[in-house]
Amino acid sequence: MNRRSAASAPGLGRLLERRLLLFIGKGGVGKSTVVAALAVEAARRGMRPLIVELGHRASMQPIFAAPRIGHEPTPVTADATVWACNLELERALADHVAGQVKVRAIARAITGNRALQGLLRAAPAVREVVMLDALRMLERHETRGRPTWGPILVDLDATGHALMLLDMPQLLASILADGPLRGLVDVLTGLFTDPARTLLNLVTLPAEIPVQETLELHARLARGAIPLGALFVNQCPPPIDPELRRALPGLLRVAGQAGLGALAGDLELARLAIARDEQVRGLIARLHREVDVPLALLPRLDLHAPGLAALRVLGHAALVELAPAEEDA
Amino acid sequence: MSATDLAGLLRDRSLLVCVGPGGVGKTTVAAALGLQAARMGRKTLVLTIDPARRLAAMLGLDGLDDAARSVPLDGVDARAGGRLDAAMLDTGASYDALIHRIAADPDHRARILGNRLYRVMSRSFGAAHAYVAMERLHDALQAGDHDLVVLDTPPTRNALDILDAPGRLAAFLDDGVVRWFVRDPAGGLRGRLFARGGAAATRLLGKLAGAGLVAEMGEFFEAFMSLRAGFQARAEQVQRALRADDSAFVLVSSALGPNLADARFLHDGLVGRGISVRAAVFNRAYTILGADRREVVTEAPPRAAMHAADLAAHIDVDATTRRALAGLDALRAAAAADNLAGQRAIAELTRLLDRTCLKVQAPIFERELQDLPALARLGDDLCAAPFAPY
Repeated sequence: MNRRSAASAPGLGRLLERRLLLFIGKGGVGKSTVVAALAVEAARRGMRPLIVELGHRASMQPIFAAPRIGHEPTPVTADATVWACNLELERALADHVAGQVKVRAIARAITGNRALQGLLRAAPAVREVVMLDALRMLERHETRGRPTWGPILVDLDATGHALMLLDMPQLLASILADGPLRGLVDVLTGLFTDPARTLLNLVTLPAEIPVQETLELHARLARGAIPLGALFVNQCPPPIDPELRRALPGLLRVAGQAGLGALAGDLELARLAIARDEQVRGLIARLHREVDVPLALLPRLDLHAPGLAALRVLGHAALVELAPAEEDA
Repeated sequence: MSATDLAGLLRDRSLLVCVGPGGVGKTTVAAALGLQAARMGRKTLVLTIDPARRLAAMLGLDGLDDAARSVPLDGVDARAGGRLDAAMLDTGASYDALIHRIAADPDHRARILGNRLYRVMSRSFGAAHAYVAMERLHDALQAGDHDLVVLDTPPTRNALDILDAPGRLAAFLDDGVVRWFVRDPAGGLRGRLFARGGAAATRLLGKLAGAGLVAEMGEFFEAFMSLRAGFQARAEQVQRALRADDSAFVLVSSALGPNLADARFLHDGLVGRGISVRAAVFNRAYTILGADRREVVTEAPPRAAMHAADLAAHIDVDATTRRALAGLDALRAAAAADNLAGQRAIAELTRLLDRTCLKVQAPIFERELQDLPALARLGDDLCAAPFAPY
């Protein structure tokens, strides 16, 4: 069953036109690499991409071999076309309070009070609200009457924590009946559920457990209010030499019958690679059947040291939608 | 205590904390280490935070939850007395279990469990995970049912929360702040909102968040006041346990660049908090190339000519067969190059580690580990011998 026709997703070609692109996926699937590659592709198209990380660790530093990436956006490529920032809770909190409390003396009293700072750092929901509000402010930020950034690519935390962040407006709406915070929650909900501005994208690997978890995550997100963009399948293995594939059964037989141990050992590697290839195809076909957003397959690059040239290749590949004909491969 | 191999660590310690980036098989490694200790005759508890049903299936259980379940050690050799139990942190359920443990009075308990803020907080928010993980660990250590507890942690970026949680908890329950909401902390239940010092702050909060929420926060703090001292005492005990001589941190990574970068970040974060990494496990570190699965082959010179000569005695080696053999060489060369790059990347990280830190690695297995015997084999591999850094 192909439910692609029912999808509201814009197609991969126009994905970068959205203001806010969020990326979610299990830890270790290479989300940061995909985000970096798409930012490089956006820059190549003459856009002004900003990569946003939400505190914790700056993954973009090693990816772009950039110096420290902090709270303020900073260029991460030599030609200054790709920018990145890593939001810091303290700074974002100060911005947030300044944005919410118009009387400057009161705002200062809040951010200057140590006990209150401690409370705000420890209290649940504060981090989430502050981070979402920081994204809202970046989205609205203008330079000479035009949006400063577009697209803004957000490298969310691993799935569980990312879901907590994305669920927050709805949760808060259930406990905040009135007051300015409720107003803010409604504004945030408005931004994050607007398909013209925001798309949530999934990143996975072509392996059993990540695919299973991605199907479950997709089912959960499809019931939610945040519009979905695309699914990126990262680190797809290179194709198997077709002649080796064809010759393998015969060679295995001869090696076994003639007792050619060295050959049999080497052929075992080919057998495993082909088995893996078939498993990958099966998993991709399954994703194609069961997920109703465009699917992109990203090649496996040099995993040990991705460089800028590799990111360009990846960014280009990332926006080529898997043709439906490949579905039954 | 300085164990010279992983088996020694499993024999001597009473708490192992597995930390590492997501997607490297950390939960599986934690389970394999726990199983290994059980096979050595120790009563072991694996405490995981990963809600993977696969782990339960691998352990032969139909599910995992807050209560420890006993793993049937069928099909693996185990010494007498050895036992493996497993439990999973389910934040909501674990919090409720915690409240049941620490709030003796039924009315008091009901007021906490019924508080809307408590319900949202215990089930939803990031920081709450770290608190409850700490409390569950405390419970496991205090119960004394096990010789060894193996704690699995969330992926890197959030793993350090467990170490930072007590400090933040103390700040959250800070006297000054709590007094804004509760007039008479000592008296507890009859406390009222809008105490003198905090009137301005709570009024401001009321304007921002609505009076309803402030009232609910007051109730929340009131209900928690009497539990506060216990919270802090337990938090401190857990922090001491995490840093004790019979505890050890095990860093788990793969050989891939992004994972190693995460591992490095985590290592630095631990060292910065005064904790040293006792063992580094590099899981799925290399492709098996050759007869010995523990040998890391980093060079695979072409063998097509040799294979062709061997085959010539049995079949007609045509051009197609020669191209297939060349394809085989290319596959082996690529795997060997991957192994070499992986070993170099690992070596770069191991240079940062303490000299006494154990280093072990395991190969990429053909399939995901499916059952207890497969897990036991991983444990055997990890305990076989520390490897010499490349």
